[in-house]
Amino acid sequence: MKNMTFEPLRWQEDPVRITVFHDTEYLQAYFQVSAPRDIEWICKGRPVEELPRILTILSPPHHLASAMALDRLFEVEPPPLAVNMREALLQAHVFRHHLRKLYFLLSSWQNPFLDYKTRESRGEQHMVPSHILDKIMHHVSLSQETAAILGGRCDHPLSAVAGGVSRFLKEDHYHRLSEIAESCLKFGMRLGKFLRDEIFGDGKALDGFQNLQIEPMASLALAEKDDNVVLRDPVEKEMDRFSPDMIFEKIGLHKELWTHEPFAYVKGQSKDEIKNIFNSQFFFVGPLARLNSGEELGSPLAEEERQRLIEALGPFPHFGVVAAYWSLLVELLQAAEKMTELYAEEKLTGPDIRTIPSEMGREGYGALESPQGLIYHHYQTDERGIVEDIEVLDTATENNALHCLLTQKAVEVSMAQGKTREEMKNLIEMSLLPF
Amino acid sequence: MGTNPVPNKKLAIFTATGCRACENAILDIHYQVSSLARCADIAFWPYMLGSEVRDLEKQESIDVCFFAGAIRTSSDREAALKLREKSRIMVACGACAAFGGMPGLVNISQWSVVSGQSQRTMDNKQQTNEEEKPELPPLESRVLGLPQIVKVDYLVPGCPPTQNFLWAAIQSLVCNGQSPARLSFAASRLPEAIAQAITSGILPPKGSIFAGEKAVCASCSRVKEEKRFETYKRPYQAYEELGRCLLEQGLVCQGITTQEGCGGLCTAMGQPCRGCFGKAEAIFDPGAKMVSAISSTFDSNDAQEIAALVDDIVDLVGTFYRYTLPTQCALFSTPSKD
Amino acid sequence: MSDFEPKIIAFLCTWCAYVAADTAGIARYKQKPNVRVIRVLCSGMVDPNYVLKAFASGADAVLVGGCHPGDCHYISGNIKAMRRAPLLRKLLEEMGVENGRFRLEWIAASDAPQYAEIINQMSEEVRSLGPFSPSTIK
Repeated sequence: MKNMTFEPLRWQEDPVRITVFHDTEYLQAYFQVSAPRDIEWICKGRPVEELPRILTILSPPHHLASAMALDRLFEVEPPPLAVNMREALLQAHVFRHHLRKLYFLLSSWQNPFLDYKTRESRGEQHMVPSHILDKIMHHVSLSQETAAILGGRCDHPLSAVAGGVSRFLKEDHYHRLSEIAESCLKFGMRLGKFLRDEIFGDGKALDGFQNLQIEPMASLALAEKDDNVVLRDPVEKEMDRFSPDMIFEKIGLHKELWTHEPFAYVKGQSKDEIKNIFNSQFFFVGPLARLNSGEELGSPLAEEERQRLIEALGPFPHFGVVAAYWSLLVELLQAAEKMTELYAEEKLTGPDIRTIPSEMGREGYGALESPQGLIYHHYQTDERGIVEDIEVLDTATENNALHCLLTQKAVEVSMAQGKTREEMKNLIEMSLLPF
Repeated sequence: MGTNPVPNKKLAIFTATGCRACENAILDIHYQVSSLARCADIAFWPYMLGSEVRDLEKQESIDVCFFAGAIRTSSDREAALKLREKSRIMVACGACAAFGGMPGLVNISQWSVVSGQSQRTMDNKQQTNEEEKPELPPLESRVLGLPQIVKVDYLVPGCPPTQNFLWAAIQSLVCNGQSPARLSFAASRLPEAIAQAITSGILPPKGSIFAGEKAVCASCSRVKEEKRFETYKRPYQAYEELGRCLLEQGLVCQGITTQEGCGGLCTAMGQPCRGCFGKAEAIFDPGAKMVSAISSTFDSNDAQEIAALVDDIVDLVGTFYRYTLPTQCALFSTPSKD
Repeated sequence: MSDFEPKIIAFLCTWCAYVAADTAGIARYKQKPNVRVIRVLCSGMVDPNYVLKAFASGADAVLVGGCHPGDCHYISGNIKAMRRAPLLRKLLEEMGVENGRFRLEWIAASDAPQYAEIINQMSEEVRSLGPFSPSTIK
């Protein structure tokens, strides 16, 4: 049996290795996360109020989810100003995250760091004009600026605390925030046009991905109306709706020896029989999973874009790579619209920034739709607020099965088409990127 | 148009075990990264270019390597050794690479909290069928910082490193001699000794840290009044977000032991410092220094009162050595390779 | 473990505990030979760094000897030591250094018998705790 490995992959947050075993009859690809995150070991024994600053190493939205868990733990209600500031920070991160992924997509056919001259002389195919890439990066940095204003830092923010946020915004920041939001919205629309015209539209750029999709899969997302977790079956009919703190009663984790990342699965009648990890009990989260609900979006431009997606690819649910990229664009516009709405002085000013907890609690949870999908935190502490037990459901765990299935699919497709090693790697990377 | 007399430097960027924040911090300067392309070829960057460690064999040599992330697995170690072998200058970028970082806290939990996996939701059943399965790289027995396994030339601390110093490090190590304006920009952000070296066209002394010279308190905007306190507070309790020194308000703030360079970022946000820049130069052990700093503010001569105060201060190791346990804690660290 | 001889580093204030140690020697009190004395000007100058450094360099235990509260030659040096000790002990404990390995004792210049007793007692306690090395904390 032959054996191929790819390590590491582009754009993956975790250290990832792909191992492929194959001979004439057999083909099995493994998506391995090759180092543990050790979150449990890092957090146990720490004071619970430090967790937002620690868990942010997973991704910036974990900072906010952790603060929400603290609100519940200390039984405090954050004042409206703080809620708005947190939401504003989250939207900045959604915008940044999606825009970066689109940048990675657009720069995937070329080395983004080559000098313009070298690039042109090589005459690389599928050239995306450099000025577009530069514009994207400029707006990534603008959204990073907003994230830094609202969160103190862009990566590893620190402003959210139990019961609110840690300080007021400075006066000169309001103006800057709305200026950036406006520019982001304008740019989002222009980028949308470019993507439709050049990338999604004629399909040439995404050739090879048109038919790349996984078998229909269940999805998990947070309902915007009542903050309940909604589980939808593969045809996207609502299967279950429950409060987030029930999540570990509904969702189980399965560990395999060949990867450090556990697999999340829907607990069901047959939970004792996980013979094959590639079966139907898995679900996925993220932008596409959220749009798969088929519900109308509140923001007009994003809704318009969603309709265009439906027009081009058919009604939801979708399980394809192209739809996943497109859903990034839909949510990007949604984030930009929410940003323009939120970054107004009256929303970000108020008498209070935080509610001071009166006593120590013992247990708290928080759930949040991060750019990459639903995340969930649950803490248990002793009477002094030292973390005794912690459970974090991260998107890497939730989408682990999806990643494995996609990798398998991409490898199968490339093998069938007799692609080179390089091309195969590229296909894997680009199929994993938008989820 | 003239051709460039100096060949472009070859740059490598790599993250071992950690998050991507350090690489994001490098990308963060991206709208200047395209201009970085004029003086550097990025020869190795797995996150952005998909470079594989085995590709390094083909590289003759690399001029500057920015290494981020802690050493957790044997592949991290191999990558570090290989990159060291190929690189003229090795820069530990970020708290994980420089000091072991937050992943380093695993080193204490192995004995103090639990041994073995305890996630109750984890279903640990293994597959029974006999298919061939791929292997994982073995874990190191403890998390290490980069200086503990290879010789490191420069440190760029921070979690993540601040844009200023990262950019200054790139300017001075990668783009030297290319543009005086840029160099003076870099020099303006650095301690005098490093700045002088750069402006006179030589590399800063080996072992230099791209950070400030004093402790964070020197750049913290808060007001110190030399006051003592009778009760100790935790950050969830009420305190003044602006204005007075956090330590003097009774919060554990590590600004006093931590190397300057962030500009008092956390304290300006109303949050106590947790020491992501590592200890300031003159300090032997950050934990011990914090013990003397905190206890000097106790306003009591009574042993019982003091004991009560101490009782309120929790998780000393996890706080004082939050980012630095593997390399800077006197009792736990193993020596650096020099 | 029977042949284990603990190494105890004793930081002794020159005005009191050091004098007591000196007297204990001259008076030929029976003392365990496990102590290495470091003479300091005041117990208040024993920075926690010194204690950590002692442990990191191979000490099995550390003793800080100062004047009784109120008797400090520098008025309040020993109060500083007193404020520091509980927090330092807590830090050490969190790092796996057992309580008996670090002691702060008030020993007046005239307390030679007490000094000898403290030394003997501490030697035995540390002997039963066994050798300390940071690498055992894994």
